[in-house]
Amino acid sequence: MEKVSRRQFLGMSTKAGAATIVTGIFAPSLNSMIGFGGVAQAATKKIKPFNFAVLTDAHLYDINDHKFDGILEKAVSDVNKISPRPDFVLYAGDIGQTGLEAELVKGKKILDKLKMPYRIIPGEHDYYLDMGKAWRGLYGNEHWSFDHNGVHFIGMNSILVKDFWTAKKLTPHERMAWMEELECHKCGAWGVGSEQLDWLKKDVKNLAPNTPVVIMTHSPLWDYYPRWNFQTYDAPDIRKILSKFERVVSIHGHVHQVLYNKIGNISSAGLLSTSWPWPYPPIKLPYPDVKMNRADPGDFEDGLGTHNVALKSDFAGMMDYRAFSDLLPANLKRGLKI
Amino acid sequence: MKYKKHSKFALFALIAASLAFAIVFLNPVQAKPPVSKAEMKKQMNILLKAVKKGDDLWHTAKLGTNGLACGNCHPDGSASNPHTWPKYQTNLGKVGTLREMINWCILVPMQGPMLDLGGDDMIAMEAYATYTHRGVKIAPAKDEQHGAVPVKSGPGYPLK
Repeated sequence: MEKVSRRQFLGMSTKAGAATIVTGIFAPSLNSMIGFGGVAQAATKKIKPFNFAVLTDAHLYDINDHKFDGILEKAVSDVNKISPRPDFVLYAGDIGQTGLEAELVKGKKILDKLKMPYRIIPGEHDYYLDMGKAWRGLYGNEHWSFDHNGVHFIGMNSILVKDFWTAKKLTPHERMAWMEELECHKCGAWGVGSEQLDWLKKDVKNLAPNTPVVIMTHSPLWDYYPRWNFQTYDAPDIRKILSKFERVVSIHGHVHQVLYNKIGNISSAGLLSTSWPWPYPPIKLPYPDVKMNRADPGDFEDGLGTHNVALKSDFAGMMDYRAFSDLLPANLKRGLKI
Repeated sequence: MKYKKHSKFALFALIAASLAFAIVFLNPVQAKPPVSKAEMKKQMNILLKAVKKGDDLWHTAKLGTNGLACGNCHPDGSASNPHTWPKYQTNLGKVGTLREMINWCILVPMQGPMLDLGGDDMIAMEAYATYTHRGVKIAPAKDEQHGAVPVKSGPGYPLK
């Protein structure tokens, strides 16, 4: 387990701004929330309440003044205005679209405008042009963990596929172009792979079962819709490793939509993008009430947004989907209990 | 008398010619034979070539100018609802066709030049979207209207 002090954390995310210590609890009346999600168990270790923000899936292009630049700028500005100020920001992958270093650099420049530190993981759009080389050069390790106010945070790269390009003699650009297509039927399922599973085992080995855990991956840790890689093939192994904990919160990008599931001790929430929304795939949602409205294609900001997650002392969590347009049905306007 | 003979012959010839014309050109009873399996296969292959072309166009950024492709927002042709057109569409502000909506997407979100409504490219894109939605029921305002169609494997159509 990588112990991270606040000072180190600030250094790692290359941010100079000091984050505010949050003592308040972001918690609208729980009775008004939809009635499911993680119920805090008495045995879960008490934490110091705080909130953090989440952004994902900007899909920036190397085109000047592209509309997605402005939307990410707006998202950063929105997060900077959240009160109480989030202690930090998590970014769940796909800052770029075609893997070009220029896209990743542009994304970093915008994210560096956050007034709080941030941690980031790669998505497939960041990765398959140079197999993550530029991304690592800019953002560091593809997996990491840190502790904050009693919560153990984990980030992992969940978009690793088996080599489909060598035998077909694809160029790096062709490989990237294949991966860019959501319904790529020749690319295969992705996951975190055995090395990261070994790392995860070691990372959580000495943590007590009552430790609150938040894990972030690009893709969901359950089989949602494998055709669009709305899955992580070794998610069952991840869930097994994390099964010793009383409660785990999983947050993920990639789906560009409001989404919830709960498997065993893990509650899982999908995130809004800052690029475009995706329709729900043709399956029955495990929690059909957690569903955003249909987005208007004439409104470029509809279907997009940011997120604020507030954690109470008993690790009861509330995800606030901060949609840029009128996207949320009434039951989600005041948050999703996670 | 000679004249009469000729007149009878001419009348007979006219009736015979009319009958022959009717049998050959106007026979209402005789239908074309059913399309053979070989012919069906040939026609389907021609259609699938257009579907493949439409799939390629659906997933290229070349139709726009800002990097976006139709497939960015509409994987597997989802949320295009090709089986429901023509219908009133709020962005078009009128009863429009799928082709007009495709052009709206190219012009507005993708910032590209509109395609010829009757051109091969537009027909191919319509063929791709429509093929992947074969058998889908029209159910206005239901989830299926903005969801995707199930695709078990491959591109969603037989690929040679």
